[in-house]
Amino acid sequence: MPGLKPVTYEQYALANGLSVILHRDSASPVAAVMVMYHAGSRNETPGRTGLAHLFEHLMFKGSEHVADGDHFRLLQEIGAMVNGSTSEDRTNYYEVVPSNCLELALWLESDRMGFLPGAVDQAKLDNQRDVVKNERRQNYDNVPYGTSYETIAREVYGPGHPYSWPVIGSMEDLSAASLEDVKGFFRTYYAPNNACIVLAGDFPRNQAMDWIGKYFDPLPRGITLTKSALSPAVLAEDKHLVSEENVALPRLFLAWPGPSRGTRDDALLDILTTILSSGKNSRLYRPLVFEKKIAQSVNAYTEGKEIAGMVTIDATAKPGTGLGEIEKCVHEVIERLFADGVTDREIEAAYNGKEAQLAGRLTTALGIAGGLATSFTLTGDAENFNREITRFQGITPEEVLAAGRRIFSSRHMTLNVVPRGRSSLASPAAAWELTYAGLPAPPAPAGTP
Amino acid sequence: MTALNAPSRLLDRTRRPPLEPLPRVTLPPVQKRELSNGLPIRLVEQHSNPQVVISIVLQSGGAVDPRGKSGTAALTAELLDAGTGSRDALGISESVEFIGASLSFRAGADATFGSLLTLNRHLGEGIALFADILANPIFPLREFERLKAHRLTSLVEQKDRAATVASNAFMRVIYGEEHPYGMDPSGTEESVSGLTRDDVCGFYAEHYGPSNATLIVVGDTTMADIISLLERQLGHWKGAPRRAAITIPPPQAAPRRVYLIDRPGAPQSEIRIGSPALARNSPDYFPATVMNRVLGGQFSSRINMNLREKRGLTYGARSAFIFLKQPGPFMVAGGFTGSGTGEAAEQLLLEIGAMHREGVTDQELEFSRMGLSGGFALSFETPFQVAGALQNIVLYGLPDDYYERYIQSLASVTSGDVMRVARATLDPDAMAILVVADAAGTKGGLESLGRGEVIMLDTGGAPR
Repeated sequence: MPGLKPVTYEQYALANGLSVILHRDSASPVAAVMVMYHAGSRNETPGRTGLAHLFEHLMFKGSEHVADGDHFRLLQEIGAMVNGSTSEDRTNYYEVVPSNCLELALWLESDRMGFLPGAVDQAKLDNQRDVVKNERRQNYDNVPYGTSYETIAREVYGPGHPYSWPVIGSMEDLSAASLEDVKGFFRTYYAPNNACIVLAGDFPRNQAMDWIGKYFDPLPRGITLTKSALSPAVLAEDKHLVSEENVALPRLFLAWPGPSRGTRDDALLDILTTILSSGKNSRLYRPLVFEKKIAQSVNAYTEGKEIAGMVTIDATAKPGTGLGEIEKCVHEVIERLFADGVTDREIEAAYNGKEAQLAGRLTTALGIAGGLATSFTLTGDAENFNREITRFQGITPEEVLAAGRRIFSSRHMTLNVVPRGRSSLASPAAAWELTYAGLPAPPAPAGTP
Repeated sequence: MTALNAPSRLLDRTRRPPLEPLPRVTLPPVQKRELSNGLPIRLVEQHSNPQVVISIVLQSGGAVDPRGKSGTAALTAELLDAGTGSRDALGISESVEFIGASLSFRAGADATFGSLLTLNRHLGEGIALFADILANPIFPLREFERLKAHRLTSLVEQKDRAATVASNAFMRVIYGEEHPYGMDPSGTEESVSGLTRDDVCGFYAEHYGPSNATLIVVGDTTMADIISLLERQLGHWKGAPRRAAITIPPPQAAPRRVYLIDRPGAPQSEIRIGSPALARNSPDYFPATVMNRVLGGQFSSRINMNLREKRGLTYGARSAFIFLKQPGPFMVAGGFTGSGTGEAAEQLLLEIGAMHREGVTDQELEFSRMGLSGGFALSFETPFQVAGALQNIVLYGLPDDYYERYIQSLASVTSGDVMRVARATLDPDAMAILVVADAAGTKGGLESLGRGEVIMLDTGGAPR
């Protein structure tokens, strides 16, 4: 079976610890530059949540040699695509530029890596704090089910866990962030030895290496950070929540503590959740949406992050359907899954879907830069990007089922989001007593956290 | 391995690197063929990745829905993969899933688009599926009922999303519900409730056929690879008889009023300001695009700098010309702090007004033209991007060398052109304002805009 061609790249480090990864491809006259810092919301402390992301905003407000507004202006003058993003585990910044504008991007990235604090003042902080509060309103508070994930993460990961607070932060913590908090975050995490820079696309290799040396080599190394230990979530007991919100349709969320990124179980559950909810024939979609028509949509997904993970099923009820009925049906599907097993054809279809998905990411310079940067940052090895497809090869139905048992017979949390005044549509608190809990969950294979 | 260069102590970081001339974009040739039934084929080879997109553009969309039956084109498109003479809905879905392909049929206002994205090693199976779905749908009654109910529920869900409510109601306000662009192509609860399977079959019989469509293929394949497959799978397709081009009436001016949809307790206010403006094939396309990039078409635009970076009232505010077959809207959009709703609307009007009266500076003109030219280099990386460019040519009747001349067309835009287009399209006094917000907290601020009493609408955009 012909597969996708592996992404070729070369990698080296500067004396200050900055990792450099270069992938050349002249298919389009563009170059993507991505700088990824190994810092995210999990590096925050309770009471100062949202700092990593607020910081990301300040990175676009100029640095000591780049005036406020110039970062965007100079890049938009050449038609570049520009953005950044923050997750629990990392923060990235990127620009996709016409291929001969590479040096501009390197100059801008190096200046904010080395010279940000001198350009940050209270006025900029206050302004971006307001922008971020609006981002929170825009993408979470004023969106149906927009705060559900926040609730689920809080409950599944539990108090004090670095994944238990939202990346966007809380309004109170955003208000509390001080200039000193921001500068302290920069000093600790925004150092060359805690970052990588990836170039992908059409650029002259030697010239690019010269420029990287010119702009990044002079930046000083920061303190050495220790690698975080895995910290899987554990639920001591099932949790059941009901939340009345401004929504027309009730939605049920079922969430289990899951494996972290890149583990064998992460791959197995990725395949299993695809079999559960991808396509009309999938195990959940077909009965809930297609046949019984009690749900408008259903999704199952596994989310392996750096130090822990979570597996979630959500289903939105049709008008008039209670979430208890939905939960019962989900429950039956999982019981039947354990009784009947999964088929080779289901696994092959899921694999083909993964391959097509990856092929899509490989069509753009930015997709490749992001893949290499993420694998390097979160696993320490850029080559893991090339294993994004091989890790799904050779998976057996028995393995998939065993991974499913480990998850679905463990404790979980249930979140019922219902229209205001309609708490009667929520699922009953004690519904998920599994008859298949009698089946012993097979022990995790050695090496799986 | 460490860096090749010793760090230069003489590096002057205040000196920005010199601007290099932009790279020349070489566009791959478009190969043209026709099947025996007259269906035009356009192929662009792109061998950098093992993917292929097959796409159909049908010159009929929601704008030609029969009167009172808004949503017909959309439902017809969605029902295509619900069964053919030889495959049922689940069988089709299973086949598509198994090869890891993505399949989509949807109707916009001006057209219906279908596409299948697949790895090239599954291309034969992909073409067979796509052709069968397109040429042989049987619209089973059960599937019709199922999808209709699904659509009705989606329309209920949609009311929870303030941004969608705002954009749909805005179109209804500025075009009026009698105009085809006034109604969202997915229809309303009322119109979709009344649809029958006959409506869908009728729409298919009237609009789907080789004389009303173009098939676009982009990706890792060749004409020799696909033409016999396509001929075998689609060459027999007769479909709808050739029809006269559908004319949509030109829009009326937008009312100079403020419309408000109440969303009690909403933490943010969605604002839309604008009016019908320009068609896609208008000679003013390039001046308008250059102008809009300055006004609200990018991060460092006047509107975003003022409303976000100066005032902190929003996560992002933008403006756009939405170019359609008939004049589509100019629209300013964003979500704003509830307490700053009046201030935001006022500032947006001021920015539009300033552009209307004064146009752009020479520096802004150059900045915008350069940015659009640079962005052009980024526009043809993926097969979907290339297919989208071909769709534009096919759908809006643009010249075949449109993209070859794109940079030149941009370069020829003068500040005089921009001024003329700003005068014609950006008069704030000829624009409507639509707001979705907590009425109790925002109505006062909106009334002080001096546009008379605020008109309250329901979530569908109809007067209350």
